[in-house]
Amino acid sequence: MIPTLAIARDLLREARARRWTVALLAGVTLLLLLAAFGLKLEVVDGALAASRFLGRSVHGDIRAADVALRPLFEAVAYLVFYGGTLLGVVACADFAPALLAPGRIEHLLALPVRRSELVLGTFLGVELLVFAGALYGGLGLTLIVAAKTGVVGFAPALAALLGAVAFSGVYAVMVAVTMAVRSAALSAVAGAVIWVLGIVAGNRAALAPLFEPGLARTVFLLLTAPLPRLSALALHAPRLANGLPLEGRELAIQAGGTALFAAAALALALAAFERKDF
Amino acid sequence: MLAVEACGLAKRYGGGLGRAPQDALRGIDLAVPRGAAFGLVGPNGAGKTTFVKALLGVLRPSAGEVRLLGGSPEDPRVRARVGYLPERLALAPSWTPLEILESVARIKGLRPGRAALLALLEDVGVAEAANRRTRGFSKGMRQRVGLAVALLGEPELLVLDEPTDGLDPLGRVHVRGLLARALARGATVLLNSHLLAETERICGRIGIVVGGRIVREGPLEGLAPPPASWRVRFEPGADEAALAAAGFTRPGGDGIHRFGGADAAALNAALDRARAAGALLAELAPEGTDLEAVLAEAVRA
Repeated sequence: MIPTLAIARDLLREARARRWTVALLAGVTLLLLLAAFGLKLEVVDGALAASRFLGRSVHGDIRAADVALRPLFEAVAYLVFYGGTLLGVVACADFAPALLAPGRIEHLLALPVRRSELVLGTFLGVELLVFAGALYGGLGLTLIVAAKTGVVGFAPALAALLGAVAFSGVYAVMVAVTMAVRSAALSAVAGAVIWVLGIVAGNRAALAPLFEPGLARTVFLLLTAPLPRLSALALHAPRLANGLPLEGRELAIQAGGTALFAAAALALALAAFERKDF
Repeated sequence: MLAVEACGLAKRYGGGLGRAPQDALRGIDLAVPRGAAFGLVGPNGAGKTTFVKALLGVLRPSAGEVRLLGGSPEDPRVRARVGYLPERLALAPSWTPLEILESVARIKGLRPGRAALLALLEDVGVAEAANRRTRGFSKGMRQRVGLAVALLGEPELLVLDEPTDGLDPLGRVHVRGLLARALARGATVLLNSHLLAETERICGRIGIVVGGRIVREGPLEGLAPPPASWRVRFEPGADEAALAAAGFTRPGGDGIHRFGGADAAALNAALDRARAAGALLAELAPEGTDLEAVLAEAVRA
C-alpha cells in the first residue's frame, strides 16, 4: 500500500477509538434520529400539506413540496458547511500533535515512509474523516426528507464536499502550527482563527468600505487577499437548495484558491517538519 | 560489507538567544560489519541515543555522513530492511498488538499473514494479549510489543535502544535468545543499553561513547586492560597459612582469595603450591576486565 494511504488509513482507524469522534458521530446520529422520528411531513399530490416537528405544527400552507423544502435544505447546507468545518477543528486538533508524540514519531520516522508522506497521510486522513462526517449528516437528512416527501435535494451533499474543501485550508494551517509547537490546544485555536478569518475574507468586498479609504483599507485587502474565502464557498450549496444554478466559474476560483492556500500552508508545514529533530 | 557506516557524525543543538550551543555528537566515526553484534555503552547524556537517532534519520546531523546497509537512511527501501526499537516507544493505546503489527507490515510493504504475526507475538511473549488493546499494558509488555515491531519481517539490521528496559530477568534472557536467533540468521544488531552485563553477553564489539565521541571501540577483550588481579575460590577446608604462603590474600571474610598481577605463569605457580598443600581450586576469574571496569576507566580518562 502507498505509505500516504497507509498513514491515512491508520488515522481513520485511530479516530474510531477517539471519544471526540465517537461523541460527534453519536451527536449527528441523534440529530438524524430526531429528524427521522420527530419530523412529520404530509405530501399530497406533490404538495406539502402540513409539517409537524415533535408534534407542533410548523407550517400550514399548501405549497409545492420541492419549493416548501428549500429553506430546510438551505439551512441544512449551512449547518453542514459551517458545523462540519468548526466541529472538524475541534475534533481533529489532536491528530497532528499525536503524530509527533515522543516515542511515536521516532518509531514512524524509522519506518520506510518519507516525512512528507507522514504529513500528507495525516492531512488526507483528517480530510476524509471530516468529509465523511459532513456527508453522513447531510446525506442522512437528505435521505430522511426524501423518504418522507419524495423530494431529493443535493445541496447538503454539495455542502459536505465544499466543507471538506474549506476545511483543507483550515486544517493545513493547523498542521503548520503543530510543526512549530506540538499542542492540540494551539492547533485548535489556529484552526478557529483561520475559520473566522476565512469568513471575513469571503466578505472582504462587503467589509472593505468599513475601513477608511487609503492605507487602512489597502492593508485590510492585502491581509485578507491570501486567505481562503470560506463564507463565499459556503454560499454555493444554499444557492443550489434555492433552485438557482451553480456559478461554476466562481466556485472553481474559490475552491481552487482554498486548495492553493492549503497547499501553501502544507508546504510550510513540510518544510518545518523536514528540519525538525525528534 | 558494512551494515552501519558513520563518518564524522556531529550534532549541535541550540545556540542563539544568548544560549551557548551544545554538542551532542562530536564527530563520530563507526563501521559495523554485517552480521556483527555491536554494543554502545556510555554514561547518561553521552550521546548514545542521539547517535542512534542520527543513524536512522530521526534527527538531522549537523555534519557527517551515514550509510546503512550500503544506502542512505533516508531511502525508504533501506529503512524497510531495518528494525528499530526506540528508547521510549509510545504505542497507540486503542490498538491491539496485532493491529500494530498489521499497520507496520503495511507500511513496510510486507504481507506476513495473521498466523505469522501471531507467531511473532508468541516469540516475544505477548501472544495471549494479541487482541487486547495496549492501554493498560505494563512497561514490559509494551517493550515486548516494540520488539515484535522491530523484528517484523526479519530485518537485516536491528537497532535496539534499551531493548530490555522494563523486562524482568527472565524476559531479558528471552530477549537475548531472540537476538541470538537474529544474529544466527545473519542480521546485524546495534544495541544501545545501559545494562553492561547484557551488552557484554550479546555483543562481540563494543563502542564506548563519552561526551559525544566514541572514545574506545573494538572487541571487549581488546578494550580491557590485562587483569590487575585474579579472584580465586578454594573448596572449604584449605589451609589458610599455606594459601597465604603460596601468595594468595584474603581481604574480606567472604571466602574469596585474590592473587595480584597479570602474570599467568606466576598465577599457575601459586596454584601449584596451593594444590600441593591440599587446597582444591573451585573458581578462578580475572578481575578488572569486564565491561564495567572498561567503561569506568574510559570515563575517567
